[in-house]
Amino acid sequence: MKTARIARSAFKGLGRNKLRTFLMMIGIVIGIAAVTVVVSAGLGAQKRVMERVKKFGLESLMVFAGGGREMGPTSGQPVVTLKVDDAEALERNIRAIAGVAPFNRKGEGTVNYQGKSINTGIWGVTPSWAPVWDWYAAQGEFISEEDEAQMARVCVIAPTVQQELFGGANPVGEQVRIGNVLFEIKGIMQPRGTSPRGGDMDNRVYIPLSTFMRRVANVDYLTGIKVRLRSIKNMEQTVAAMQPLLRERHKLAPGEPDDFRIITPTEVRQVAAKIAGTFNIFLVLVAGISLIVGGFVITNIMLISVSERRGEIGLRKAVGARSRDIRLQFLLETMVVTLTGGVIGILLGFVGAAILRAVTQMPVSLSWEGAALGVVFSSLVGLIAGTQPAKRAATLQPVEALRA
Amino acid sequence: MRVIVQTENVTKTYQRDQGVPIHAVRDVSVAIAEGELVAIMGASGSGKSTLMNILGCLDRPTEGKVFLDGDEVNLLDDEMLARVRNRKIGFVFQTFNLLPRTSALENVELPLIYSERDDIEGLATQALEKAGLRDRSHHHPGELSGGEQQRVAIARALVNDPEMILADEPTGNLDTRSSYEIMALFQELNRHGRTLVVVTHEPDIASYATRIIKISDGRIERDGANQHIRQAQDELARLTNMTEAK
Repeated sequence: MKTARIARSAFKGLGRNKLRTFLMMIGIVIGIAAVTVVVSAGLGAQKRVMERVKKFGLESLMVFAGGGREMGPTSGQPVVTLKVDDAEALERNIRAIAGVAPFNRKGEGTVNYQGKSINTGIWGVTPSWAPVWDWYAAQGEFISEEDEAQMARVCVIAPTVQQELFGGANPVGEQVRIGNVLFEIKGIMQPRGTSPRGGDMDNRVYIPLSTFMRRVANVDYLTGIKVRLRSIKNMEQTVAAMQPLLRERHKLAPGEPDDFRIITPTEVRQVAAKIAGTFNIFLVLVAGISLIVGGFVITNIMLISVSERRGEIGLRKAVGARSRDIRLQFLLETMVVTLTGGVIGILLGFVGAAILRAVTQMPVSLSWEGAALGVVFSSLVGLIAGTQPAKRAATLQPVEALRA
Repeated sequence: MRVIVQTENVTKTYQRDQGVPIHAVRDVSVAIAEGELVAIMGASGSGKSTLMNILGCLDRPTEGKVFLDGDEVNLLDDEMLARVRNRKIGFVFQTFNLLPRTSALENVELPLIYSERDDIEGLATQALEKAGLRDRSHHHPGELSGGEQQRVAIARALVNDPEMILADEPTGNLDTRSSYEIMALFQELNRHGRTLVVVTHEPDIASYATRIIKISDGRIERDGANQHIRQAQDELARLTNMTEAK
């Protein structure tokens, strides 16, 4: 009851001094708005990372031809040591492996249809590609064992290619020209969106691996092998078993570096998070600094306010306010200011985040966690910034304060 | 007669940074009884305000004892002193000390915020009525005359129904008519049994008290009943006649 009255009295005091209250609040509003935008952008980026990892497949591995540290195939001379036999050996010898999908690809190829053309990736894949990626044809059919055995001139196109060449029309059964060879369209893939590295996974054309190797590229090696495990739990052991097997098959002497790389979802997540998260640290720092500055401004204004209001403090003490009543009043004044500023900042931050998303196409995720964080931060700033002024007000002796 | 506040050999010494200590009050023993209207008189610097602060539990003596309503004030901590001030004492100041941009009613409510009482608005309205300001309750101090502002302050001092009202130069910032009005109000409150202590340096103001204590150099020089108590109401009537005669 008493506390509520003191709180009401503190609140009225703020209303009587609107300019001071506004000046105190503005720093926190800006700080919290900045935090909200950064947190929204950060969460958006994180969400995108997780989506990408899921696309890669949580129980999947990727074996790429060539050593080194970069993800994806190395540029320059193609590495020719990874073969179809390697894929078969992996599947045969390691029990934890549920399926393998060997593939080769050409990053840039031209596909023509009645005068229209599109630059797209050409992928040679086996029928196992679909179950291993858990990625199937949405219309028509995926590449079959027969297609693979007969080096058939058939292809499955992804949605972007369909959109570019055919608009909304159903292209199954149509003939497209890849390079100089005509292919019949068997099916259209389900959309998949963006890859962990940011590429469009829907701008692709799939053809049988045998067709790709003999008729299109004339090679006998693979770009990589996608491996699906029976369970997510055996990831480490499987990698540990795959490595010596491949080394042995490639006749690598001890001490010689691997001529392949095994990529796990953990690595995918790390790389994707690195791409998304680098600038966030900087922004959080900036937002944090603006909050700290806002806190100092509040402390400063409150200290001035305490000396300005000595007479009021003296009077309140004379009529029966205890030191802790005065401390509570000034602390509440500060906290009401920062909390209100925090709430306004969150709302502004949401608006800012929405604008950011609209303008930059950045993934932005508005969340109640971000809002809660803003409220916690602003109360914390109020508590810290208000402590010293409140203490000074509370320890004033009534006679001293009244003399002013 | 019941004694409300009593000092026993009270001394208050201020120690400046360097140099000789200043004895604001020296060895003062005084008792204020229920129903008195006491004027504490003295020149500026005589120690009368310090004595009032000690009587009002705003300040503690360096030496000696103070009893308020039988309790020894020296033994109370700051928190209990605040409670004593809240319940038993009402203060009126020379500069009114009203909160700016706050209505008269809310100013009067201020002591009640720190009490356990309910219906603070009702009590504050009653107090304003006693001070003759009911129709001004929603005015801010800036919209009131000096005399009205001081009456708001008196209402604030009355609102907790204290044992004693302490007024420090209550007419110091007021014109003659307002001063008489304030003293008339004090005399009326006193007639209804309220105990009041008024600190002043004006003999004219002291002449409305039932008892006059003269302080000089921190000591009581004279203390006795006022043989010729004047009525502020008479002075007001005289003033009104004069204005009408013109």
